[in-house]
Parts: sequence; C-alpha cells; structure tokens
Amino acid sequence: FKTFNDGERLIDKTKVTCVRWVPGSVNQFLCSHHSGNMYLYNDELICTQDRPHYQLFKEGEGFSIYTCKTKTTRNPLYRWSLGDMAINEFAFSPCSKFLAVVSQDGFLRIFNFDTMDLIGSCRSYYGGLICVCWSPDGRYVVCGGEDDLLTIWSFSERRVVARGAGHKSWVTVVAFDPYTTLYGEMDGVVMHNEESYNRNNYNSTERSGKVRNKPPIINSRPNSVVSDGLNATCYRLGSVGQDTLLCLWDLKDDYLRQSYYRPRSSTVVSNVGSDGCPSNNTIAHSSSLSANSTQNCNKSSNHVKDANNSTGPPSALSSNSLTAKLASLNFVDRRGGDKTSDKDHKRSMSLAGRNSSSNLHKKDSRSNNCSSAAEGDVSSPSFGSKSSVGTSQCPRMDECPLLEPLVSKKIGHERLTGLVFREDCIVTACQDGCIHTWCRPGKQAGAALHSSPSPSSAGISQPLAAGGTVV
Amino acid sequence: MGANASQLEKEIGSDQFPANEHYFGLVNFGNTCYINSVLQALYFCKPFREKILEYKAKNKRNKETLLACLADLFYNIATQKKKVGTIAPKKFIARFRKENVKFDNYMQHDAHEFFVQLIDSINECILEKQQAGRNRQQQPQIIPTNQEDISSETLTPDQQNILNDVSLNGSNTAPGSPHGQQQQQGTDRQQENTWVHEIFQAIVTRELRCLNCESVRSTDEVLNNLSVEVHQNTSITHCLRCYFTTETISAENKVHCDNCASLQEHQKRTRLKKLPSILVLHLKRFQFLGQFNRPLKLSHRVVFPLELRVFDTSDDAVNPDRLYDLAAIVVHCGTGINRGHYFSIVKSHRFWLLFDDDLVDKIDPSYIEDFYGLTSEIQKSSETGYILFYQARDPT
Ligand SMILES: [Zn+2]
Repeated sequence: FKTFNDGERLIDKTKVTCVRWVPGSVNQFLCSHHSGNMYLYNDELICTQDRPHYQLFKEGEGFSIYTCKTKTTRNPLYRWSLGDMAINEFAFSPCSKFLAVVSQDGFLRIFNFDTMDLIGSCRSYYGGLICVCWSPDGRYVVCGGEDDLLTIWSFSERRVVARGAGHKSWVTVVAFDPYTTLYGEMDGVVMHNEESYNRNNYNSTERSGKVRNKPPIINSRPNSVVSDGLNATCYRLGSVGQDTLLCLWDLKDDYLRQSYYRPRSSTVVSNVGSDGCPSNNTIAHSSSLSANSTQNCNKSSNHVKDANNSTGPPSALSSNSLTAKLASLNFVDRRGGDKTSDKDHKRSMSLAGRNSSSNLHKKDSRSNNCSSAAEGDVSSPSFGSKSSVGTSQCPRMDECPLLEPLVSKKIGHERLTGLVFREDCIVTACQDGCIHTWCRPGKQAGAALHSSPSPSSAGISQPLAAGGTVV
Repeated sequence: MGANASQLEKEIGSDQFPANEHYFGLVNFGNTCYINSVLQALYFCKPFREKILEYKAKNKRNKETLLACLADLFYNIATQKKKVGTIAPKKFIARFRKENVKFDNYMQHDAHEFFVQLIDSINECILEKQQAGRNRQQQPQIIPTNQEDISSETLTPDQQNILNDVSLNGSNTAPGSPHGQQQQQGTDRQQENTWVHEIFQAIVTRELRCLNCESVRSTDEVLNNLSVEVHQNTSITHCLRCYFTTETISAENKVHCDNCASLQEHQKRTRLKKLPSILVLHLKRFQFLGQFNRPLKLSHRVVFPLELRVFDTSDDAVNPDRLYDLAAIVVHCGTGINRGHYFSIVKSHRFWLLFDDDLVDKIDPSYIEDFYGLTSEIQKSSETGYILFYQARDPT
C-alpha cells in the first residue's frame, strides 16, 4: 500500500478527477486533476517528500508535457498539462495506444500516448466535456458534456460525425455496450491506405473473425472496395446524466460514415482532416464517400438522405430486431426488488438516423456570416477562447446529423454518476449513493443472436468499468 | 467591512489585481439587496457598464434622472482611489423609489421585477434625451424596423389569437401588434433603437407554417430577457428548449390559410430571431400553485454552464451560433419572493466574486454548483440561481 501526492500535496493540490492504469503496463497509472494536469506515476517508485522540479519535455498545440528534473527516476514520471481548466475524464483506446481526454474547456483531445503527439481534437457545442469513451473497436470516441449532447468523433476522419440529443441536463457518463453491439461482416467502405494507416500509428489489436477495427482511411482515389452495407456495425451506446435519465443509442457505422461534414458556406473547403491526417481535403473526402455510397447503393445521388435511405432496408432490418429486443427490456430494480412499470420505457423508438437526416436538408438559407470566423480555424485545432464553430471540430447544429436515443428512461430521483455494461446486466450509480443493477432484456436470446467481441477485447474495453465508481 | 475589503485585496494579490477594476460592496438600505444584487450584476456586464460610463462622460451636468443617478453610481465606483471598499447607492435608491411607487417601501421585492423596471426606465431616459436633442437639432435618426414575412394585418382574428397564444411568459402581445411590447408602449419614438436595445434586446418570433402550402406567417416579440420555466433536474439548455416550442395544430383546431383559402394543419414554432449581446435568463422559480395564495419557490436543481448557445434560432437569425459566457448570476436565498435575500456572483477578468450587499468575496468557480438548486422535492429554503446574465463572446 502506497500513497501518492499525500501529505503536503506537493504534486497537485486540486482534486483528482480520474485514475486509470496504463494498459499494457504493470506498474504505471495516470491520474488527472481539477487543475488541468495529468500525472503519470510508477507505483514501484516511492513518492519523495519534496516538490518536483519540472522541465519541459514536449510541447504541442494547447498542451505541454513535463518531466522531473532529477538524476534518478522519480514520481511523477510525467506531467501532462492541458491548460488551467479541469480535466474531467480520460480513456485509453482499446488498442492501448491512444488516449482520449476531455476537459472543462470543452475540448476532446486524442493523443498518441507513447509518442505524446496530439493527433486530433474536437469541441463541445458549448460548455465543458464531462465524460468520454471509445467504441470497442476504437473507431469512434464519444463524449458527453454540459451542452446536454453526445458528441461522436470518428477516429479515421478526425472529425465530429454526429451528435446525440436526448438528455435534459448534463451528460455524466457515456459507455458503449460491447455485448449488444452488432459487428458488421464487412466494412462498408474499405480501402485501407497502408501508408497513411501506418503514419497514423494505428496498430489495432488484431482480432480474428468478425470484428473490424481498422479505421478506414479514405483516400482520394475512388477505387475503394465496397461492401453491400448489409452488415454494417451497429454500436449500442448508453449514457446517463444529471437529468436522472438512462439513454440507449444505436450508432450505425454506415450512417456515421456517410454523414459527411457539409459546411454551410460552399467555399470552405479544407476543414476535414486538417489536423495530422494525410493531405486529403474535404472535397476528396466527400467525393470518395459519395462515390462509395453511390456504388454501394446503385443510386445516383450523393445526398446523405438518399444514401441513408438506400441502405435503409438492411439497417431497418437490424434495428427492427434490436427494437424488438429493446421493447422487451425489463428493468428490474434489484435493490428494491420491485419491478418498475415497464410500459414507461417502451416509448416510441424512432430510428435515430431517420429524423436527423432531414436535419441536413432543412435549411441552406442561413447566411454565411460566420464562415469567415471559421476560416481561421481551418488548418489547426484552436484551443483557448476562440470559438471554432462551423469547422469539423465543432460543426454547427445543422451541419451535423443529430441522433435521438432509442430508449430514454428516468431511473432515479438523483443525478446519475455511473454506468457500466456487463454481460448479464446494466449497472448504474446515483449521486445518493445507490447502485442499481438492471436485467438485460431477453438475455439468453440476445446472447445467442449477438456476435460479441472476443473475451480479450472485452477485457480491454473494461477500463470503462472503472468509471462506475460512486459518490 | 474594512477587514473584509483588505482581505479581498490580499487574496487577489496586488500584482494580480486587474488594472482599473474596483470591487465595491453596496450598502443595504433595508431590504435593498434585490437592487444591490442586480446593480452589481449589471456593473460587471461589460457592454452595459461601458455605455453607462460613456453616458456619464457625455452628460456632465444633467437633470436628475434614474439614468443619471445610475451613471453617477457607476462612475463613483469606477473612479475610486481604493480598489476595494463600500459605497452607499443612496441617491440611486431614493430616485428609483420616487419614480416607482410600487418599490417605494422597505419591503423585499422581486429582483427580476426590478431589473425589468430599471431597463425600461433607462431606455425611457435615453429616448427622452434623444427626443429633446432632435427637437433642437432636427435630425431624426429613425432606424427601420424589422421586416415581417407577412404583415400581421393580413391575418384573421383567429390567426392572431393563435399567434398570440404562443405567448411565452405571460406578457401577451396585444392583438394586431407585430411588435409586441414596442407597440404597447404606443409612441412612434419606441421604434427607435437605443443602446439598451442593442445590448439586451432579444426578438422572439412565432411562426405559423401551413403544412399544406408551406407558407409562413410570423409575429415578433421584443424582450429584454427571457423568462423560462424551471423543471427538476434539468439544465438551462433544456429550459430554453422548452421555451422555444414546436407544435402541430391539427384536427378541429385547424387554422385558415389565406394562401390555400381553406382550413389547414399548421405548425406553430417559437424561435429566437435576434440574439442579444447580453442574454438575460430569468428562472421562473416563483409560481402560484393551487391552494396557496402566495407564490411558492421552486428550488428545482437547474444547472447552468459557463458557456451557452441557443439551439432554437429562426432560419433568418443573424449569428445563430453566437457563443455566450456566463457573466453574472443573481442568487435568491430563502423560501419566498417577498422574503429572503439576494446576492450576486460575477465574473471579473479571471476572478469570480460574490457580492453580498457590502461584502465582497473572491470565490472558486466550483462554488457556483451550490446555487443550481435542490434535488429534493421537499419545500425548504434554498440558495438558487435566479437571473443569469450571459454575455456574447464576440466583440460588440
Ligand atoms: Zn396554406
């Protein structure tokens, strides 16, 4: 048993916001503070009772990393400084290589943990980002925040691909449900450009069988191999908030990929993939995407809605079956032992993508008066006070699909603070100190139908579970 | 108070103390915390303070109006030699009480009501002054009013009612009035924009869209603040989303569409058309409920972020993504509207300060959480955010 940063709190006086073991390491853990700093500790090193003297180790846009100025290695090994706003949560990618960090300044930052490079970022619509998680295959990062929204960021495209609106207050925990996520047989869009693939240092954990976790790097040559989209991955995501609601969401991989970023002003070109991505620009992205979807669907429109509709039958199929299962959701409050009336949560389950696609059509009529503000942010992620609305980092509300939850259920009287998906149940935690365990719907049937990720990958995705601590 | 003041200065540190900034408490003249809290919040809304001080600079010798008294008070604070201390807003309060019979007593009043009255009075003062100036110079500066999609004159009385029904916070627009409050005040000089409008004015538009032919009729309402309903365990974002509604009028409630020349289903939408530089949000925490004949306080927990955007802007809104920063909060403590206490929390430079009458404290921003409200439904005393002042980040 050891303590770190105890006594005089010489390392950081502010409160700890998140602690995680570094995956793949037996003795290192990372600890974030309200001060905006994260510290990497080695639990085999004794914490000396003297104030650490730091020297700059690495610097990048909006962050700097320090190491201790000593002859012998001491704790903390590194200090990651992301400004003076609190770091609220961080999460390692399933492949362990990347670190997603969300802060009170409203930014999600994705780092390569080993090389300490910032490889991507995005911003909340407004307000701090509170929670973050990775999809089990590492392709998406989802965060929730003080804008009451979920923000879904695509690793391969390095941009916000969708938002989710359904909470009535701040979103406190987001977690993928690896057990009900349906993995596609084929990726909808496949043309891994090995060169850029390597350049991105994305070494996905090799998985056999059905799980596809390689991010598609879409290059400008429209020679992509295209599947029929029949088996696109459908992710199940859960979120809880201060509104006491548990929301379940379906994220369909094919839909997220086709929902390309469309700036209001047609003159803004190079927003997408501007940070660190190989030199593709928006046009190339869009055209290859639309080319894919048109080949994919034998339809001659590159309109998002059409693309979405054309994949409609298969999507509808999969989601219908999911909806059916969901309708049988039987929330049992084990603590109290009493069954909650289950008609409440059988509310209308709109297909998430459906409604939102109309969003993109709705209006082009808005003036371009903000496009000039956006231009300044084109080439680099901007940190600090500058608003980056209208860029791929923070699209306007009508530039980005808005998803709705499949299910939204009030499950308590106090704000919710924890959410963990387990194979046989869903666990939620509440500010008042209660932990509730909810039965999964039709568990036996469901388990047979779903292809769940391999045990090892499930294990990797479990750092999420550590987020379920209460009070 | 001397000890408190010097302690504040010490806490901030002389090297950290913002240049040309003064943190002065205001003396309470018997239940005048509802005035003090709003004045402090306004003092730290930068565009407002600048305009008031500008007025002071331009009008050295002036007859005593409420605006002049406020300008004197702000000027007095801004020109103090000391950085911290206490000031007695005696002249301002006397003037305000004299002009407003309702407030001419030593009772506790509603800070929101005071805010509305103050802003209206200041606007009135400016207009009077402009009018006087114009009479002398004969240089009218009439700013054209906003164009309506379809003028309300073309609406039938029924349609008018539908549009007016959408009224948001009880202040119904007069039938046939496309300009809401503006027209109610009745004189044509109300058509002019003053700097008060430029700072606080929000235009809420109510659209009635025929679902058959897609034609849109709209009426606008001009407001200096938005009064939103509060719901348990929600955010101010959600309260705003509830304020801006969309509903479909169908079945027996169908409305006549002139374009279609028949009864049609309509979609009724309320949207924000003009986003003010300072968005003032009033949480309707005092409500008459059933058997009680005095308003009860709703202590619901409503969280409010340090940044804000408005989701439900109209298609023709200028700068619909305007980003706001929380600049000040007026907090109500206690159980009822005519009792309890008010104080304010403001942001000044990098600091958050709590102004409680003559006391001023530097606080940690995380302390703001304490004023979101209570999650327990049991009626009890609470300290809750009551008026929020969000300031647009863009340069004004
Ligand atoms: Zn019509």
